Amino acid sequence: MYSNKYVTIYTLVMTVIVSVLLALLFSGLKPIHDANEAVFKKRDILKAIEEYLPKPLDEMSDEEVLAMFEEQIEQQVLDAEGNVIEGIKADEIDLAKEEKKPVDERKYPVFIYNSDKGKLYLVAVRGNGLWDKIWGTIAFEEDFNTIAGVSFGHVGETPGLGAEITDNPAFPAQFKGKKIFEGDKYVSVSVVKGGVKDPEHQVDAITGATITSNGVTDMLKEGLEIYLPYFESQKKS
Amino acid sequence: MSEVATKKEGLFGKKERKMLIDPLNDNNPITVQVLGICSALAVTTLVSKALVMTIAVIFVLAFANLIVSLLRKGIPKQIRMIVQLVVIATLVTVVELTLKAVDYPIWKELSVYIGLIITNCIVMGRLEAFAMANKPWQSFLDGVGNGLGYGIILILVATAREIFGKGSFMGFQIIGPSADYLIDTTTNPWFSWYMPNNVMVLPAAALFVIGIIIWIQRSRNPKLIDIS
Amino acid sequence: MGELFNIFLKSVFIENMVLAYFLGMCSFLAVSKSVKTAMGLGAAVVFVLTLTVPINWVINTYLLGPSGVFKTDLTFLRFILFIATIAASVQLVEMVVEKFSPALYSALGIFLPLITVNCAILGGALFMVAREYDFAEAATFGFGSGVGFALAIVVMAAIREKIRYSDVPAPLRGLGIAFILTGLIGMAFMSLMGINPANYMN
Repeated sequence: MYSNKYVTIYTLVMTVIVSVLLALLFSGLKPIHDANEAVFKKRDILKAIEEYLPKPLDEMSDEEVLAMFEEQIEQQVLDAEGNVIEGIKADEIDLAKEEKKPVDERKYPVFIYNSDKGKLYLVAVRGNGLWDKIWGTIAFEEDFNTIAGVSFGHVGETPGLGAEITDNPAFPAQFKGKKIFEGDKYVSVSVVKGGVKDPEHQVDAITGATITSNGVTDMLKEGLEIYLPYFESQKKS
Repeated sequence: MSEVATKKEGLFGKKERKMLIDPLNDNNPITVQVLGICSALAVTTLVSKALVMTIAVIFVLAFANLIVSLLRKGIPKQIRMIVQLVVIATLVTVVELTLKAVDYPIWKELSVYIGLIITNCIVMGRLEAFAMANKPWQSFLDGVGNGLGYGIILILVATAREIFGKGSFMGFQIIGPSADYLIDTTTNPWFSWYMPNNVMVLPAAALFVIGIIIWIQRSRNPKLIDIS
Repeated sequence: MGELFNIFLKSVFIENMVLAYFLGMCSFLAVSKSVKTAMGLGAAVVFVLTLTVPINWVINTYLLGPSGVFKTDLTFLRFILFIATIAASVQLVEMVVEKFSPALYSALGIFLPLITVNCAILGGALFMVAREYDFAEAATFGFGSGVGFALAIVVMAAIREKIRYSDVPAPLRGLGIAFILTGLIGMAFMSLMGINPANYMN
């Protein structure tokens, strides 16, 4: 048996050694962590327009991703009415945080990619899946009607079912070329079960993941609606 | 010359080799000792994830064994468990911070499972059963051996799940319904029946695969059969 | 309220600690040989999870977070503090229960020390952080996860009591069949998935 004094000193020394060690490691690696996180988020956005990029995302180094954001991507932030706010960059906006604010104080990001074939407008949407939040980046062509590409993400959808919106590349690929307007009317794009009847505005749902699929429909419908005034003003200018 | 040989014998003698190899089959931590199933099965949907997890567990297990074995004479008995847990938790934090800096996407995918190595029963189990009573070098080897035994099962399960569930191995696309795959099921007449089986991606599939691995292992090695 | 109910149902049935995330498997397999002991362990886990998840939430938010008392990001101490909290609360619970309710102590007693290294407990705390729950959600989640664990282990024990009399191939007996059974229960639980209470609330 050891004396209480020994145990106390032992514990104290151990605590000090461990915390100093971890603190040093943490502060040493923190800049790398932050840089990694920034690149990760940027890659996530670029995923929606992967086929317009000069080479596939996997083959792009972190520096290339950052350089592309610096040189070829314009960033804008919108207020709740769709007006552009000056002095803030879109990659500082986190929709998860905006969601907790009152509706008329929320801000929304827009990324504009200058590709060889014209500009692409990337907007962010967020909604509910079966169990938790889902989100997406939607890229539009210059007509603000045709979808150029999408990518989705989720927190806790079921692997093999709802999670397929991210894991199965065939699902987001269906959205390319769909249109959100029917004539002048805003109809968004719907995810439907049992075969697509309207190929301009519908895509096939994931088998066994009805609620996640409906979640995607609702997210697009409500999320894109917010950007409509901005699209209008851009079309005019 | 002879001195070198004996020294080598001391580091990697018969006993030491047995220590490394035994946990791979006859004394496997997962299928025989029933330890450490907790944190890891969820990372077996992809081989790459299982591989990273294996490396992390080997690192933590080997060094926790080494450190505890070095400290074993000075650890006060009253707070033995807490000291062990602090050693493990520190090593796991080191692994987490390093992984976050080295490969952010994998870190993001593994999320809480790296942290759960702390309560992986293999680590605590080996510390109590081995490191507290043995010399540092042996303890280190015991850690590596058990980590490997754990990793083998993990990678076997992940291989089965990735090939049948996604048609790929380590991200290399082997069989699937597009031209990106080695065997394109839309054009290849022999494999047109093939569909990637989503059931394998569901959590339950990992359990079936382990059940089958145990079945095979015990049919080949009847002395492991459970009588109860 | 609907949101909390949703979290509860989700943690019991769908994101079940054992069946969906394989957490707490060690004790799940070791202690599921009879229904009686399984109930004891189940109750102990409910108890400890309900207690430790909210405590760890407070530690994580007010001690480690950048907006906590130290105003710095101390998240690198998270693992150590979480596991220490769990070990300490288990010890505390053990002493309190022993003093005030010897009957409960003799029922839970032997299982309490085991719980410190039950992955489900630390898992509960880490999931709570990863999913950014607020306090009420964290408490609900802790309780729900405990109930989920208890449910799974009791169901498993009931099946294992019966399967002892079945003609299982010898190499599969015991551990092998236990794994396969767990998988089957997990799949059965998945069929409850389409029910999202939040959809009926509004």
